[in-house]
Amino acid sequence: MKAFRAAAFVAVSCAMALTLVGCGRSGSGSQTSLTVTGSTTLLPIAEVAAEDFMVANPEKRILVAGVGSSAGIESVSNGTSDIGTSSRDLKPEETKLGLIDSKVALDAIAVIVNLDNPVTSLTTSQVADIFAGTIKNWREVGGPDLEIGLVNRDEASGTREAFSKLVLKGGDFDPTAAVLPGTGQVRSVVAQAPIAIGYISLGFVDKSVKALIIDGVAPNPETVAAGTYPVSRVLHFFTKGEPAGLAKEYIDFVLSAKIQNAVVRDAGFLPIADGGK
Amino acid sequence: MSDERNKMTDTDPQMCTDETARADAPRPPAGQALSTISRATYLKEAILQNLFLLCACVAVAGVGLIFLFVGLKGWPIFAKVGLLEFLGGDKWYPTKGSFGILTLIINSLLAMVGALVLGGPLAVGTAVFLSEVASPRLRELVRPAVELLAGIPSVVYGFFGLVLLRPIIAQMFGGLGFGLFTVWLILAVMIVPTIATLTEDALRSVPDGIREASYAMGATKWQTISRVLLPAAKIGIIDAIILGMGRAIGETMAVVMVAGNARVIPEGIFKPFLTLTTVIVMDMPYASGDHRTALFGVAIVLFIISMLFVAAIRVISRFGKEMS
Repeated sequence: MKAFRAAAFVAVSCAMALTLVGCGRSGSGSQTSLTVTGSTTLLPIAEVAAEDFMVANPEKRILVAGVGSSAGIESVSNGTSDIGTSSRDLKPEETKLGLIDSKVALDAIAVIVNLDNPVTSLTTSQVADIFAGTIKNWREVGGPDLEIGLVNRDEASGTREAFSKLVLKGGDFDPTAAVLPGTGQVRSVVAQAPIAIGYISLGFVDKSVKALIIDGVAPNPETVAAGTYPVSRVLHFFTKGEPAGLAKEYIDFVLSAKIQNAVVRDAGFLPIADGGK
Repeated sequence: MSDERNKMTDTDPQMCTDETARADAPRPPAGQALSTISRATYLKEAILQNLFLLCACVAVAGVGLIFLFVGLKGWPIFAKVGLLEFLGGDKWYPTKGSFGILTLIINSLLAMVGALVLGGPLAVGTAVFLSEVASPRLRELVRPAVELLAGIPSVVYGFFGLVLLRPIIAQMFGGLGFGLFTVWLILAVMIVPTIATLTEDALRSVPDGIREASYAMGATKWQTISRVLLPAAKIGIIDAIILGMGRAIGETMAVVMVAGNARVIPEGIFKPFLTLTTVIVMDMPYASGDHRTALFGVAIVLFIISMLFVAAIRVISRFGKEMS
């Protein structure tokens, strides 16, 4: 108990000291402090990478905030932050802002079914109709005469948001679908129920479920990086002009094998290098 | 001497109450009976009584503060969407500005009624067994088991339901296994200890003379139980069942794991659904603004439902006392 208190005290003191130092330095405008704002999808990568970076470089400070992709792009273009993170590409009107794109990870969503399900491929519009509730039987997409068991994610899920944008194009999900609060739950329910269909990040697909071929393209790192797999997106770090100084150091750190293979994969994304080859 | 003092306080509790009423008096007022209590004993008694009063106050303040806080946080939603629209609207799409909780109320009631139909007889049967049928040795085995049922954390029930029960139900009846039926089974078991222990108390409080009279009239055991004991313990059993209803409608963690959480009235008992309690768990992580206020509004509704249950128990108990 005593040891715990002492540890807590040390931790709090360190945090306070760091904050003070951080404020002082960023105020003086030197290159030891970096602000990264934007996508909440990218938050797990950006944050863990920032922590690891600061452990390796104790004199540097990196502040990470999740405010949404659009707000991130806005703040990097007006100079409020040094790096704007985004889970979407630039809109046409944003391309003239002089932002340089560093691709840091791939986010692909696999549509998964039970291993016993004879269906192996669907089109994007079939998937959309299934999740909107207009296709209700596997027979309608070439499967057995069984009712489809829809498995959806909760509204707090970034995967649900991305799936809604990429597949349903903003349309409504079937409200009668089961709503589960985690990737692991979706996967285990689909693995057990022959009639089930769900979606999870490609990074979390394992042998217990079957990832469907969409529009004739199988989901794998190569097709995702090539941009041919339709239910996918690239995650970006945007900088105003070519990254330099601390921003470049940090981006290089995020792109290093250590972060890409551990942190990026743990967060359910694919390393950008997987598609580069 | 000290034995003498203890005896005084034990045998005459009324005197102590009189004492605390004048706690500010420097010493006990003169009197034949009081003169034997020393100043130290008197102080100790006064401190203890006030300590217990404080305990009671904290409990009451807890209820009051929660009600006040939830009320203040949730009240604006009634003003914003209107009480009728909130309670009577059947569309819960808070991110699109639609805040009707009728679907959730109906789903909660469906879950509760089913659990009661399955669990009520099970619990009353267990209580009859414990109180009237079981041998003392068997009773010592069964009662702790029932009590242990009450001690299992609800998340364990939920986990059990999700991992073990749900796949079995999915295999037997089709679907994904989420839905009313699974929730009923879990809740039925969860309300057994609540109803069984209180029903057993009610049965035990029936005087033995009544049992003996029944047997003396030539009634069998079953006739005694069904025609004499259960009617005699009726009020206590109804109270127990209402408490069980409160437990069923308020249960959250176990339900959220096996209900499937679809915000519609289910089309069948094997289809996913969302209740008043589970909507709070599901929506709280991302709710903001009016949505968050609406969740507090849901909490107010839950609070009022449980107040109604408590009030019902009070009214029925009073009614029962007047009857006898």
